[in-house]
Amino acid sequence: MDKLSREEVLHVAHLARLSLTDEEIEKFRVQLKVLMNDIDKIKEVKDYDDEEMYTPVDTNARLREDVVGEMLNAKDAIANAPCKNGNFIEVPVMINE
Amino acid sequence: MSKYLDLSIKEIHELLVKEEITPLDLVDEALNRIEDTKDLNAFITINDKVREEAKNLGKVDKDNLFFGIPIAIKDNIITKNMRTTCASHILDNFIPIYDATVIKKIKEAKMLIIGKANMDEFAMGSTSETSYFGSPLNPHDKKRTAGGSSGGSAAIVSANIVPFALGSDTGGSIRQPASYTGIVGMKPTYGRISRYGLVAFASSLDQIGPMSRTVYENAALLNILVGEDDYDLTSANRVKEDFTRLIGEDIKNMKIALPKFFISDIVDKEISNKIKEVISYLKEKGAIVDIIDMKYLDTAVTLYQIIAMAEASSNLARFDGIRYGFREDNTKTVDEMYTKTRGEGFGDEVKRRIMVGSYILSGKNAKIYYDKALKVRDDITKEFARIFKDYDLIIGPTTTRVAPLLGTSKDDPHKAFMDDVLVIPVNMAGLPGLNVPIGKNSENMPIGLHIIGKAFDEALIYKLASFIEEGF
Repeated sequence: MDKLSREEVLHVAHLARLSLTDEEIEKFRVQLKVLMNDIDKIKEVKDYDDEEMYTPVDTNARLREDVVGEMLNAKDAIANAPCKNGNFIEVPVMINE
Repeated sequence: MSKYLDLSIKEIHELLVKEEITPLDLVDEALNRIEDTKDLNAFITINDKVREEAKNLGKVDKDNLFFGIPIAIKDNIITKNMRTTCASHILDNFIPIYDATVIKKIKEAKMLIIGKANMDEFAMGSTSETSYFGSPLNPHDKKRTAGGSSGGSAAIVSANIVPFALGSDTGGSIRQPASYTGIVGMKPTYGRISRYGLVAFASSLDQIGPMSRTVYENAALLNILVGEDDYDLTSANRVKEDFTRLIGEDIKNMKIALPKFFISDIVDKEISNKIKEVISYLKEKGAIVDIIDMKYLDTAVTLYQIIAMAEASSNLARFDGIRYGFREDNTKTVDEMYTKTRGEGFGDEVKRRIMVGSYILSGKNAKIYYDKALKVRDDITKEFARIFKDYDLIIGPTTTRVAPLLGTSKDDPHKAFMDDVLVIPVNMAGLPGLNVPIGKNSENMPIGLHIIGKAFDEALIYKLASFIEEGF
């Protein structure tokens, strides 16, 4: 069966910041190949013009008035953080000594 | 047991005005129905304060049709102090600290949020089977899917647990489940409804929309959902209009196009035949229906895969285990925390899509895939505009088959997209599209008609939909 290599799966998993089990890697070797084949069909589209469409909205971007609005307090802002200490969010070590 | 919720909302409203019933009666009836239909697995969270909210609604407002009417909300629309999971393990303990703009509007209209509806994880899927909480079932046949991604919302309205639900539609996720469950579902024009508070999947495609039992009730609900919003700069500034205003008008001389692709051999025979019956009916009533050629429709699924997966990979980068949601403990570095949290927190469909999406956006691939998809997207949009120079509306079937049995597209990443082949083109062009039921097949499963309009022409779609609902 047509499938990606183990390394190719690990590469895209790294891009998406996902850790995968060995079992998942094997499964995704096949499944991701199916999707890669799907998106490759874009290469077959020949008859198109060069204008790109990023969004269906055709109005110009607008800015709201620069006035002070409602603000979150610290307690609410971190209410959902899974690991916190007082008004701070705890994370593992970011810089090695 | 009372059966007020079987009445139209106009009839319910009259009873409320006459003080024959109270909002609490409606809520209690809805809660009973939820209990009786538990096996549908249509809800993720029930609002445990809804009885209290019903008691505190105050005096009935006789000019507000929605006063005291219960509604279910798809669980990717955030609700202050009410758990919002996106049907994902990574958010299964998330309690939002603010309301989505549509939720503010629902609350201003004094509707009562009965609970949060089951769905595909992060709205990625076409059968709601990717939900972390198990799949909702189709009330017409519990062995079948209710569709996706707004499958819970569709099942809730179809089983008449409450009269309304909100869904979201990125590539057919309102219209396809509406078709599978025999209800009315509208994806409005991109920008019609604020997306503020809708957890983003593919930002240039996502749109919230109403799901209901009838066309009139759908249009009436849309009236209160729309409007420009400072918190969503893609929301449109439009003159206020009544979307029910054309309902009941004659359709004589209305010009309707049916693209050949929509009745090609990808569509089940019984469904094509039903569409042909609709065409005969419309012609008989004086509408002009032409079968036309339309380019690029067959490329829409590929465009969707590229654009939706790319945008999803970027949008879902925010789920990192730091600010909200699930975090994998016992990790030594921040990188390890990110990858393990996401590896544990996301399901397979989401993982596949963000991996392919990240690949699409990496290095020179962005040009090969994403940029080219945006170019063809522009062409498909121009092709719609070309058709709409000569026609008022475009019609076709909403789906290629009736609701499939549960489990048939599991682990087939391609199938999940092909279920939406007929509805995806509309999202590419940002147009409004609606499903209206047009009968059942030989297995007694609902068949739906898809009506597509020009941008911001929802009122005309409702006119045709209502005409078909009434007479066909």
